[in-house]
Amino acid sequence: MVAQPRAVTALIGPSGCGKSTFIRCLNRLHEEVRGARVSGKVLFDGQDIYAPDVDPVEIRRRIGMVFQRPNPFPTMSVMDNAVAGLRLFGGLGRSEIRERGEEALRGAGLWDEVKDRLDEPGGRLSGGQQQRLCIARALAVEPEVLLMDEPCSALDPASTFRIEELIEELKADYTLIIVTHNMQQAARVADWTMFMLLGEMVEVGVTSKIFASPDDKRTEDYVTGRFG
Amino acid sequence: MLETRKRFHDELAALEAEILQMGERAQRAVDRAVSALARRDAPLAHEVIEEDDALDAMYKDIEERTFNLLATQTPVASDLRLVFAILHTSVHLERVGDQAVNIAKMALATMDLPASPTIVSHLEEMGEVVSSMLRTALDAFIRRDAELAVQLETMDEPVDRLNRNMYREVAILASDLQALEWGIRMNVVSRQLERVGDNAVDIGEQVVFLRTGEFKEFSDASHPGTPEET
Repeated sequence: MVAQPRAVTALIGPSGCGKSTFIRCLNRLHEEVRGARVSGKVLFDGQDIYAPDVDPVEIRRRIGMVFQRPNPFPTMSVMDNAVAGLRLFGGLGRSEIRERGEEALRGAGLWDEVKDRLDEPGGRLSGGQQQRLCIARALAVEPEVLLMDEPCSALDPASTFRIEELIEELKADYTLIIVTHNMQQAARVADWTMFMLLGEMVEVGVTSKIFASPDDKRTEDYVTGRFG
Repeated sequence: MLETRKRFHDELAALEAEILQMGERAQRAVDRAVSALARRDAPLAHEVIEEDDALDAMYKDIEERTFNLLATQTPVASDLRLVFAILHTSVHLERVGDQAVNIAKMALATMDLPASPTIVSHLEEMGEVVSSMLRTALDAFIRRDAELAVQLETMDEPVDRLNRNMYREVAILASDLQALEWGIRMNVVSRQLERVGDNAVDIGEQVVFLRTGEFKEFSDASHPGTPEET
């Protein structure tokens, strides 16, 4: 499969089909799981990210990740949360870090809501805000790709739509790959959709095609709910 | 296979069953309207007009139910195509009903005028063809048979030809004013039958869409391949 740059690609499929495992392979997060192994190749800008001379930490900076449950550091302030990743890499002065933090919070569409609460603990924000804070944290290290694993499944509809709007805006600067159980979400936000089943990539296509007239019978059966 | 959306799929199946009923009614209306005209059967013509209310009610019902499915069930893929095909087909069948009513009204308006047996037999021929076209379109719909649906275009050719020549046959009647009045109304009937054929072809196009996901007009009336007389 190929993820198109500056576009949203959604990964859909039943529970346990390997969607999360698959995207974790894309930024070498999967290898942190005990007993995990990886086969095949992941090329990023033509380079194999599993080549021996590649630094996995650098890969994870360039290919960021947002998880299902908003996981800001609960006692850390909003601003400190936003720049947490940035601090890890070091090399920046305090004012620079703060500027990048503001930029990331703006990028995540959160700045206006938190600009007067930057010193409050991140855990005090609403669920939707916490998730956007996590997106800001991922954006602060200036990645090129953003992986999102069920980013809205713990959020209410309004927060979900807010994140979906944000995904649309982020597309201008980033390549996004999003795992979702919500097929309508895939239909709404994704330019490309991939359907996975039992670890197999069954069909990849333009989203409107996957939801209007998919080529593979298994895709058809899945999206129409003829099996779950 | 595990069915996870049984209620939704049951409703889709029920809508498709209603489309078939609607199709049978529309076909019957055309058959009876032509028969009322040919046999000068006024009571039958009145029945055709009265029974159109049922067809209109079915159309409204299908429209409402497909609207609800779109609002609440977000159908996708073949389900979405089926919802659209059902909705479009119901519109076409409702119009066929109206065309049958127009024919019945023409039959009533010409009961006392002299008729040309040649024209009547041509109209009956057109009626038979468009009736079988409706049957074919609905068969193709149930069987999702795109190849059968494509044949509708060929079936439509004699109907178009008879309709195109109708005005010449009417012109022959010009010397007798009453016969001419009858003939002018028969030209309207011919046009209605030709439209029934077109509606059957349009339903066939829906079948191809249902099957392939691509909408293609079988022929494009606004850009005909060969120049036609009008």
